[in-house]
Amino acid sequence: MITRDMVGGAAASLIGALYLFYASQLRPSSLADSVGPQGLPLVYGWLTLALGLVLLAQAFIAVLRASPAERAKQADAWSGQGRRILWAAGLLAFAVGYLLIVETLGYLLSLAVLIPAVAIYLGARFGWRPLAVGVGGAVVLWLMFDKLLGVGMPEGVLRGLGL
Amino acid sequence: METLLATLPFLLDPSILIAAFVGVTWGILGGALPGISPSITMALLLPFTYTMDPAAAIVILASTYVGAEYGGSVPAILIRTPGTNAAAATVLDGYEMNLQGKAGLALGISLYSGFIGSMVGLVLLMLLSAPLSSVALAFTPPAYFALGILGLSVIATLSGDSLVKGLIAALLGLIIATIGTDPVTGSNRFTFGSADLLGGIEPVMIMVGLFAMSELLAQASKRGEVDKIRSRPRIEFPDWPLAKRLIPSQLIGSAIGSFEGVMPGAGGTIASFMSYNEARRWSKHPEEFGKGSPEGIAAPETANNAVAETAIIPVLSFGIPGSNSTAILLGGFLIHGLQPGPMLFEQAGDVIYGLYAGLFVAIIGMMIMGIAMLPLCVWMVNRPLPYLNAVILALILSGIYSIHGSLFDVGLMLAAGVLGFFMRMLRFPFLPTVLGLVLGFLVESNFRRSLVLSGDDYMIFVDDRISLALLVLSALFIFGSLARRVIAALRKENRLAFSEGSEG
Repeated sequence: MITRDMVGGAAASLIGALYLFYASQLRPSSLADSVGPQGLPLVYGWLTLALGLVLLAQAFIAVLRASPAERAKQADAWSGQGRRILWAAGLLAFAVGYLLIVETLGYLLSLAVLIPAVAIYLGARFGWRPLAVGVGGAVVLWLMFDKLLGVGMPEGVLRGLGL
Repeated sequence: METLLATLPFLLDPSILIAAFVGVTWGILGGALPGISPSITMALLLPFTYTMDPAAAIVILASTYVGAEYGGSVPAILIRTPGTNAAAATVLDGYEMNLQGKAGLALGISLYSGFIGSMVGLVLLMLLSAPLSSVALAFTPPAYFALGILGLSVIATLSGDSLVKGLIAALLGLIIATIGTDPVTGSNRFTFGSADLLGGIEPVMIMVGLFAMSELLAQASKRGEVDKIRSRPRIEFPDWPLAKRLIPSQLIGSAIGSFEGVMPGAGGTIASFMSYNEARRWSKHPEEFGKGSPEGIAAPETANNAVAETAIIPVLSFGIPGSNSTAILLGGFLIHGLQPGPMLFEQAGDVIYGLYAGLFVAIIGMMIMGIAMLPLCVWMVNRPLPYLNAVILALILSGIYSIHGSLFDVGLMLAAGVLGFFMRMLRFPFLPTVLGLVLGFLVESNFRRSLVLSGDDYMIFVDDRISLALLVLSALFIFGSLARRVIAALRKENRLAFSEGSEG
């Protein structure tokens, strides 16, 4: 049975090991002090790796010492998590999609697409309402950032119109 | 008196007044939305503060915190769903009063008690923060290193049920802080050839990602529905006999809230529940608690509002945030190149006095906007979550882009959101990561500078009196926390599943 702490411990160990590898690749400069640019990163890397392993060991011991009822509860902790990760990944995909289109379509159009798409993805009914909220939200945010705060948001295909 | 005189001119500064009113209004709205914590409300505002004057930027963030603490009580009373963690204790009697048709009075008690708690907290903030400025000039690199260690030692109390997880979370923050240019030699570290990483990763990207983006990802994965508010309450303030009856519970709330606010990791939630329990213990009508007791609202609401001010004391004095919200406030200081801590009073006294004035205005503003904004709060809470979250996502993406006009920054924020999502899932607390991130540079640069100054003699950290005192304090903090954990383990007590900083 794999518990959350086992996954957390393994992930921390992996991050620690990777960071340690890259920290050891840092070349000391001739201007460096006795600790050097790699001094503390190496300490952080070793500590992360070691603590990840400690968490992993604690998790294994906890499973071994757990009663059958506790084990059943721990096993249940993962139920539905795969679906949750997929739903979250879907929302992330919309955000990444926005990043990919915003320079081409421009800020205003990209938001007008993003807002209704995300609202429908999160459970809003398809119809005129999400589209209206999308267009309205995009215009309000564009006015706020581009016109009020003076941030130059990407213009994209609307460059000719000055939007 | 000197502090008061220095603060007064800022009460007439239009930028402070506007920032305080906008902040408290935004805070009330954000706090009223279930799932949007004060720290998320503040994080959403953080990108906007880049272009603002430093004093106004800090005031708008701190005022948001004040407003959010009251805002959280609105859905707690009306739909039994606390808008913030700290409002959870208010549900117990607030919702009961609502069922008895006294929702307006419950909201009035919450607002009026919050006003009292905030005023007490502000007085303490002004009294306790300033004396530390007198030692500012005595701070040397070893003392700054020790100050950073003191900040990191707080992790021992912020780690919830697992100290190991808290330490790993802090190391993640320290690791992120090493990306960019080395503080002593100027060489590049972990930039992988990317010019965007040369300046390091700004804490604001990580904070918005960890707090706000990860919350959206978590909400997308849950797809829960929030109840709708059916009633249309109007705020009613207590009459004199009731106000007199509430005084003891408000005193208890003020005392506990002020103490817990200064203590790292304690925060508004613990203060609210402790105040509720103590108010019940000392009440002449303990049997009414849980059945719609006005004291059961007054005590926690006074406490969580007192926390909102006193939690700023360790940030201003030592640069150490004890909660998620104060970590965001610290981020606001860093954005403007201000390092909170002993030198802050020397370098940016106007920002501090502006903050005091702004908080005073925000507390008054909370009373006005609390009454005026109630219909809007009800309207906002009743909006369907999918629309609200879609607009919040658009706001986050736009806000981060607006900082430097960089899509790379937006990508970094999304990566931090993914990290935060998995940290939530695996029950790792956030606050140690933020502490590691904001203190990493301070610790490393001053550690190495101290050794350069001393010719690699580690005794420099002991010879410097301030450094020694801070290191001893850090050791006491760590051993005290460890001792409490050992005692709790021996008694087989259950610790809280998360620290205040984990956001659940």
